[in-house]
Amino acid sequence: MTLPAPPAAGGSAVTARIAGNEAGKQGRLLMSRRGLVAFGVVAGGANFVLFRLLIGGGHISTEMVALTLPGLVLGWAFAATMAVQGAGDIAEEVLGGTLEQSQLSPARPSVLLAGRLAGLTGQGLAGAVVLGLVFGVGFGVHYTIGPGVLVPLLLTIADALGYALLMTALVLRVASIGAIVHVFNMAIMFFGGMVVPVYAFPHGVEMFARVLPTTLGVEALSTTLAGRGLGGAWTDGTLPWLIVHVVALGSLAWVTYLNTLRRARREGGMSPR
Amino acid sequence: MNALRLSLASFGNETRKGLLVAWSEKLQILLELPFFAVFLLMLGPLLGEGRLVAAGQVHWSLNSARTSDLVLWFVPFTFFYMQVVKLFWRLLGEIQSGTLEQVYLSPLPSWLIVAGGRVAAALAEAMLVAAALYGIISAFVPLHYHWSPAALLPAVLLVLTVIGFSLIIAGMTIRWKRIQMFNETAMIAVMIFSVSAIPLLHVPGWMADAGRYFPATNAIASLYGVMLGHRGVTAPWGPGGLIWILITAAAYLAAGIIAFRIFERAAKVRGSLAAY
Repeated sequence: MTLPAPPAAGGSAVTARIAGNEAGKQGRLLMSRRGLVAFGVVAGGANFVLFRLLIGGGHISTEMVALTLPGLVLGWAFAATMAVQGAGDIAEEVLGGTLEQSQLSPARPSVLLAGRLAGLTGQGLAGAVVLGLVFGVGFGVHYTIGPGVLVPLLLTIADALGYALLMTALVLRVASIGAIVHVFNMAIMFFGGMVVPVYAFPHGVEMFARVLPTTLGVEALSTTLAGRGLGGAWTDGTLPWLIVHVVALGSLAWVTYLNTLRRARREGGMSPR
Repeated sequence: MNALRLSLASFGNETRKGLLVAWSEKLQILLELPFFAVFLLMLGPLLGEGRLVAAGQVHWSLNSARTSDLVLWFVPFTFFYMQVVKLFWRLLGEIQSGTLEQVYLSPLPSWLIVAGGRVAAALAEAMLVAAALYGIISAFVPLHYHWSPAALLPAVLLVLTVIGFSLIIAGMTIRWKRIQMFNETAMIAVMIFSVSAIPLLHVPGWMADAGRYFPATNAIASLYGVMLGHRGVTAPWGPGGLIWILITAAAYLAAGIIAFRIFERAAKVRGSLAAY
């Protein structure tokens, strides 16, 4: 018996609905595990407190909180959380068999992916905002906030999305992806500006740190938050290199995702092996 | 006699299973190990140097005393991680695959099987990681410790305390299943409150007082006393005092067994030992 081919996506309304369904699914998943997510936020905050105590000699200074808060919010709370959730969700869908079902959708993979990433972004942002407010307000941190802040902020979010997509894509290909995500997340935590500002590292380590997802974004954002504006971030090279990083990581993640998806379809890697 | 033989066989089988699971996780440990070493090497010059960090004037030289302090603080947490965090993942795997119910076919108490089977594996993994960390780090900076058999006393009591704590987490796992983030948070909280044991750091008084009630602080303080301060382990009170460590170990072990029994009973009533 030949199965009928799924109908082609009928215009932008259907496409938007399918993408919305994917985003809604992520939202419902978030609500169903809100306790887990809340503890994730608490764990991120506790990690931050631990490092501040170790480096502050047993005390936490407002200056160090101000210098490292962008690293906590964008690197750990946003990028690392999205990578864990993205990879975990795909792994769960593979085990549950629902990833195969999603291939019956008339929408292109990019539409499904856009919906999935939109849901993940909402989830990541929720925790990041909470942590930013708790430590920012709690320690009386003062930043210079203007419209220019949005540029590095949005670029860093895009960079984090590229990283989360890459880790999500690798779930379909690499068996020990959990360990890999863990190691990458630890690297982001330590070298991405949450433990100490990136400028405090020796030059060679600073260069290595800038290759990692979100580090350049955290640096550019810190420059603008310190009142030196977008011009300062452009002049010190962090903003142009951030743009390059976003494009390179996004492209790598997208190509990897399409390739692993194609390969999984061909080799039956979308269901439990 | 027959019951004793059966019990020993059962315990041995669980231990063997724990070691097999540990071996299957070797890739993850191999991936994480170099990172832990780099992390400790780089954290050494930063310890207590918040002002220099903010000014961008950190002296990136490896200091033997500071790195020795850090490694001694960190190593107990490798065991804590292996016993508590990995026990959680293993139990979750057993619940998903349906093998957890088989524990109740054993003649031994369930809490002993659950925790005991993991202890040998956790100790083996922690010793391997600690030895590798020691080897890697001492290749860059010499680590100076006073190796004394007396250190075994706080070490053994720390193992008992962590077993007790792991039983609380195990009970919560079979009751509520997905508690991984609670688990991580609990471990970080234990690490935060153990910071008061590090001689270089001066935490606020309330934090030092509260730290005594957390699982690892007293034993780590005692290890510092014997391995860095050349002191004995039998002083009854004060930071790392023997009475405090004994009370902590006994309290956490008792609390762990009681909590496990309560959560286990709740899971049995709900019929959720095998459902995911």
